[in-house]
Amino acid sequence: MRKKVMAVLVAASMVLSLTACGGSGDSSSNNTEGKTETEAAGGENELTVWCWDPAFNMYAMEEAEKEYQKENPDFKLNIVETPWADVQTKLTTAASSGDLSSLPDILLMQDNAFQKNVISYPDAFADLTGSGIDFASFAGAKTAYSVVEGKNYGVPFDNGAVIACYRTDILEQAGYTVDDFTDISWSEYIKIGKDVLEKTGKPLLSCLSGESDLIVMMLQSAGASLFDEEGNPSMVDNAALKEVMDTYAELVKSGVLVEVNDWDQYIGTMTNSTVAGTINGCWIMASIQTAEDQSGKWAITNMPKLDKAADATNYSNNGGSSWAVTTNCKNMELAEDFLAKTFAGSVAFYETILPASGAIATYSPAAKSDVYSEPQEFFGGAPVYAQISEFASKVPSNNTGVYYYEARDAVATAVTNIVAGADVETEIAAAEDTVNFAMGK
Amino acid sequence: MSGPNKKLTLSRKQNLSGWAFLTPAAILIAAMSFYPMFRALILSFKTGVGLNMKWAGTYNYVRMFQDAVFMQALKNNFIYLIFQVPIMLVLALVLASLLNNKDLRFKGFFRTAIFLPCATSLVSYAVIFRSLFAVDGLINTVLINTGLLSTGYNFLGHATSARIIIILALIWRWTGYNMVFYLSGLQNIEYSIYEAAKIDGASPWQVFWKMTVPLLRPTILLTAIMSTNGTLQLFDESVNLTNGGPANATITMSHYIYNMSFKYVPNFGYAAAMSYLILILVAVLAFLQMKAGDKRD
Repeated sequence: MRKKVMAVLVAASMVLSLTACGGSGDSSSNNTEGKTETEAAGGENELTVWCWDPAFNMYAMEEAEKEYQKENPDFKLNIVETPWADVQTKLTTAASSGDLSSLPDILLMQDNAFQKNVISYPDAFADLTGSGIDFASFAGAKTAYSVVEGKNYGVPFDNGAVIACYRTDILEQAGYTVDDFTDISWSEYIKIGKDVLEKTGKPLLSCLSGESDLIVMMLQSAGASLFDEEGNPSMVDNAALKEVMDTYAELVKSGVLVEVNDWDQYIGTMTNSTVAGTINGCWIMASIQTAEDQSGKWAITNMPKLDKAADATNYSNNGGSSWAVTTNCKNMELAEDFLAKTFAGSVAFYETILPASGAIATYSPAAKSDVYSEPQEFFGGAPVYAQISEFASKVPSNNTGVYYYEARDAVATAVTNIVAGADVETEIAAAEDTVNFAMGK
Repeated sequence: MSGPNKKLTLSRKQNLSGWAFLTPAAILIAAMSFYPMFRALILSFKTGVGLNMKWAGTYNYVRMFQDAVFMQALKNNFIYLIFQVPIMLVLALVLASLLNNKDLRFKGFFRTAIFLPCATSLVSYAVIFRSLFAVDGLINTVLINTGLLSTGYNFLGHATSARIIIILALIWRWTGYNMVFYLSGLQNIEYSIYEAAKIDGASPWQVFWKMTVPLLRPTILLTAIMSTNGTLQLFDESVNLTNGGPANATITMSHYIYNMSFKYVPNFGYAAAMSYLILILVAVLAFLQMKAGDKRD
């Protein structure tokens, strides 16, 4: 009997402790949920924001908070550091479960993922079209990323205008200056690149293998895209794409472009002086400037343009992000007013964040500010921020489409095979098939 | 103590307390594991983007066999399985029988050294392998300095070498883990039968194949099934070591499922269907291994 009593007692205590665990777990999660909800509701004057870079977009948000507090002393921001991959995962989880209460009021979204997320989860994002935010004061190509079916879902933030960076000291050894690289075409770039490689042993450019950043930059510089107006893949018979593929293969074969396997190696090629330059979104400057011993040895200019494509320009875009307001926001007016008066309305705010973070605005009035034309010592005393703002205003708009990431990966696979010797037309056709398949066609 | 309790026999009482102990765990497993699996099965018969799912019957299951990338991933998984699992298990077996030698000195040190890799995080070891085999990494530097290569070879940039590196990484990571199973299996084999074999003049080779392997059969079966399962669900190495490249030559099924759910336009129905294919493959392979390996009947 005693044994039985003991057994029941032990079992009961186990069940109890388990439910106790479950209970405490529940209550704590309830607490946090309650907490985020009150935070999201903002009491009266608080907003929660997700973004990911303490030196960059989080810093910008903190400064925006101070700016807005000048008029609304009670206003508070709760900025939560959330890496982009986590933002995407949390967003997908919350939106597919239909329970949006875990989302913040405002989140920062990669421009390339904007269309996909808004179209997949239309209920999760607030339409900002009639909110009083002046979207016309942003660069048109930039705003286009966050426009779905004619409605504005995002407030543009940082700039991804493409810059070509060169090591002036290495170019000098080969007898060139950065002017020889300004307003040139890819065929000239390859010609000079071969010469630089021969004389200094350094390639002009490094790239991540298996990534299609450069391909997409080259495409957009000619206003071309992997998709047509209706969002269907248009790769076969896309003359610009074929030219881009040929150019890329030529770059690799001539040795002017060296492929590396991961991001650290890519940054390493620049900081260790194994390459004489790079071409990327202007945010790459932050990484270049980590090599303090190279101060004064860099210069920037525009990227080469395609030789044959009809609308070829020397300007393109890579990366960048925009602020989105979620429908979980309980104080929509506050969120809209906050964004309208800071990111979409204050030149003073952009003047504050630029020197410390290098966050280059897509807000056109800010580009005229004097802060942008100050010379930058690291880049040989050139007013690089003004240069970049000028580049940004000339970027042709292109269509990213919902299936952008699928298309990027398919093209990356194709270009890897082409560099290894496969036929260009066959590979492009295979890439289009892959994207069509992903779209269920 | 009186009343209805008295009518319980001893065995019923023991049964009841047994069930009382089992219930909490059973409920938790059912709620946390079986219910989601059931929901995933239902999900795998639906299709659509994000939340807008509609019933699609077996569409997803037919679709995956027309999906060139998924077929490539399936092929890659089987390449890893066919090459990596046998090499690793034989190596683990050999190491275990070497370390089982009673006269070996510093046995504890060797055992720990061989087991240690599987205490490292999957992500960090993958990242370390990636930098080892980088164009300017340690391996290339050594090969260039010894005169075997003139310039660095891009190991992760070529399909065959990238797969070989994944297999090498897996062997490094998991051999010690399987060796521990074999060592514990070997503890159960009476040492005197080895002495008897030695007296009868058996060579170490004969001892290994005619005695150790047959006596370890249940453990070998266990490790084979676990390794098959692990290889078919391979994810970290594909993501962190090669990122599926070059040109999908090393992508695994799990990596593709992840892309389908979180990187691309979310298609959870299709992702769930592919997960179920992995489940079916693991179940079939485990069944075949049991049929081939379990000789108790």
